[in-house]
Amino acid sequence: MSAPQVELGVEDRAPELVPLNAIFATDFVQILVPVTTANTIAEVAEAVAHHVEGKRVRALPYPKVVFHNGRRLPPDITVAEAGIAPLDHVAVEYDVPEGQS
Amino acid sequence: MTLLKREEWQGFVRDVDWTPTYVDEEAIFPEWHCGTGKVPREAWLDWEESYKVTYPEYVATQREKESAAYAVKAALQRSNNFDHLDEGWKSATKIHFGGVALVEYAAVLGELKMARFGLNGAWRNMATFGQLDEMRHAQITTFFGHEFIAKDPQYDWTQKAFQTNAWVPISLRNLFDGLMIAPNVVDLAIELPFTFETGFTNLQFVALSADALESGDVNFANMISSIQTDEARHSQQGGPTMEILVEHDPVRAQWVLDKSFWGCARSFAALSGPAMDYYTPLEHRKQSYREFMEEWVIDQFIHTIEDYGLKKPWFWDEFMRGLDTWHHALQMGLWYWRPTLWWRPKAGVSKEEREWLVEKYPNWETVYGDKWDVIIDQVNANNVEATLPETLPWLCNTCHLPCCNATQSRDGRWRVRSWQLDYDGRRYHFCTNACRQIFWKDRDNVNHETVIDRFLAGQIQPMDVGGILAWMGLTPEVMGDDPDYAAWTRDYVGRTASGLAVPAGVGA
Repeated sequence: MSAPQVELGVEDRAPELVPLNAIFATDFVQILVPVTTANTIAEVAEAVAHHVEGKRVRALPYPKVVFHNGRRLPPDITVAEAGIAPLDHVAVEYDVPEGQS
Repeated sequence: MTLLKREEWQGFVRDVDWTPTYVDEEAIFPEWHCGTGKVPREAWLDWEESYKVTYPEYVATQREKESAAYAVKAALQRSNNFDHLDEGWKSATKIHFGGVALVEYAAVLGELKMARFGLNGAWRNMATFGQLDEMRHAQITTFFGHEFIAKDPQYDWTQKAFQTNAWVPISLRNLFDGLMIAPNVVDLAIELPFTFETGFTNLQFVALSADALESGDVNFANMISSIQTDEARHSQQGGPTMEILVEHDPVRAQWVLDKSFWGCARSFAALSGPAMDYYTPLEHRKQSYREFMEEWVIDQFIHTIEDYGLKKPWFWDEFMRGLDTWHHALQMGLWYWRPTLWWRPKAGVSKEEREWLVEKYPNWETVYGDKWDVIIDQVNANNVEATLPETLPWLCNTCHLPCCNATQSRDGRWRVRSWQLDYDGRRYHFCTNACRQIFWKDRDNVNHETVIDRFLAGQIQPMDVGGILAWMGLTPEVMGDDPDYAAWTRDYVGRTASGLAVPAGVGA
């Protein structure tokens, strides 16, 4: 029998690559966007937007939000903390105030 | 010596068979190739083709067809016909040459398999003619495409496309390996002659021939019409096979038909769709892709399934809705990832062209116009760089085409939805619900890895756009680009444009 190993918490692990299947707002196609476990959700939103915003989808002056498994994620947690795994799907949307869409 | 009349001897020779005495029947006709399944072997004795042909007749007819096709080609070679063809139309032909030439060769292998393992002598006879047909098609398509290499190196992909790992050829190899190389001969007869050749090749060979003539490409129209006359004969292997399969195993007949219909529909949306609705010059378009599909594929498919007592596939509504979306999204994907193509994709979204698109597809502006507008504004801002890809589109694990099919939700919003599946320790993504369903049912088959799978596994190095293009076999002289940006952006010069990404290094 081997002794149990220490499991590092997500906050202590070195960043690992997390390739995502991502869609940005009204864009026409899902794309490959690599992020890391250490990226914040706000950074994920920008990484996805980089390929689309102002290139295929007109940029809007609103904050962006990330949805994962139907859940709206807070912008300041990390990919690891959000439980986003490699090959997961995320959707990035503009957080348009009600009545302005 | 007096020759017997055809009708006096053909009945004896068309289904010549023998009774093996030295080996078991199973050793000659193993189940894994013959695929009789629940159909008793003796049931195949009733297999009968409706249009019968003898070898001397076959040779005489084929000789005439070949002479005619090459005579027209020789005559046109001396003219400047090619130089006056529209770039968009040339792209439609490059797709055809690269996408079809070696599929015809794969069909030779499929026909040979039926010629060897079909459980009826007449069927094997028909398949022998079929493989000769397919050999002619592989040769004529390769030869006709080859002629233009000196004028345009992209035609080199007539022969090269299938040898590469570009994503379009991978998608096509996946489809046709599934239809022709992997299946036993019963499934093959349903997938290739019954579904693909009876159901779909009309669209590419008859309908596209009409567009070819309108576009002034007599040579191409002549070539594909010559090919289509063979399809009409050898595709009849499908009917008698379906008749027997439906009687003994209707569930299998329906499944094989459904999944191959879906695979063909996805591929045609990717290649025939843009060729018909975007590349063919507006003034030369006979009908929209949707109209062609309705007339040449759907009406006939419905009649066929009714004739055989089958039902509409479970995905019918999803397929019909897709006629208004699939090929428009694929056109945008092909255009945006244009360096990965061996042709010059026309955007085809000038004001006049958009009016035509909206007339044919009332939701076009809502679903696609906004994105083309941003692209147009970027071109007019002299920022073409913003219209070039920096990552890969996500490719479907069933059809290997981009996951790009927007659907409308109840609140009216159009969005591309996620169709995913966890299986055997990993996550798969699909472009549609039906692709997901087909993967699940066929999950134990060998499935090609998508370009995304290969990229993430580290098979493509370096892991950047340059590495991807080199891995796909795209060289600078072949790499696709829009043939004429001004043609579709000049209508919009000078309009106010907001929300554009600025080029790297330029302040906002």
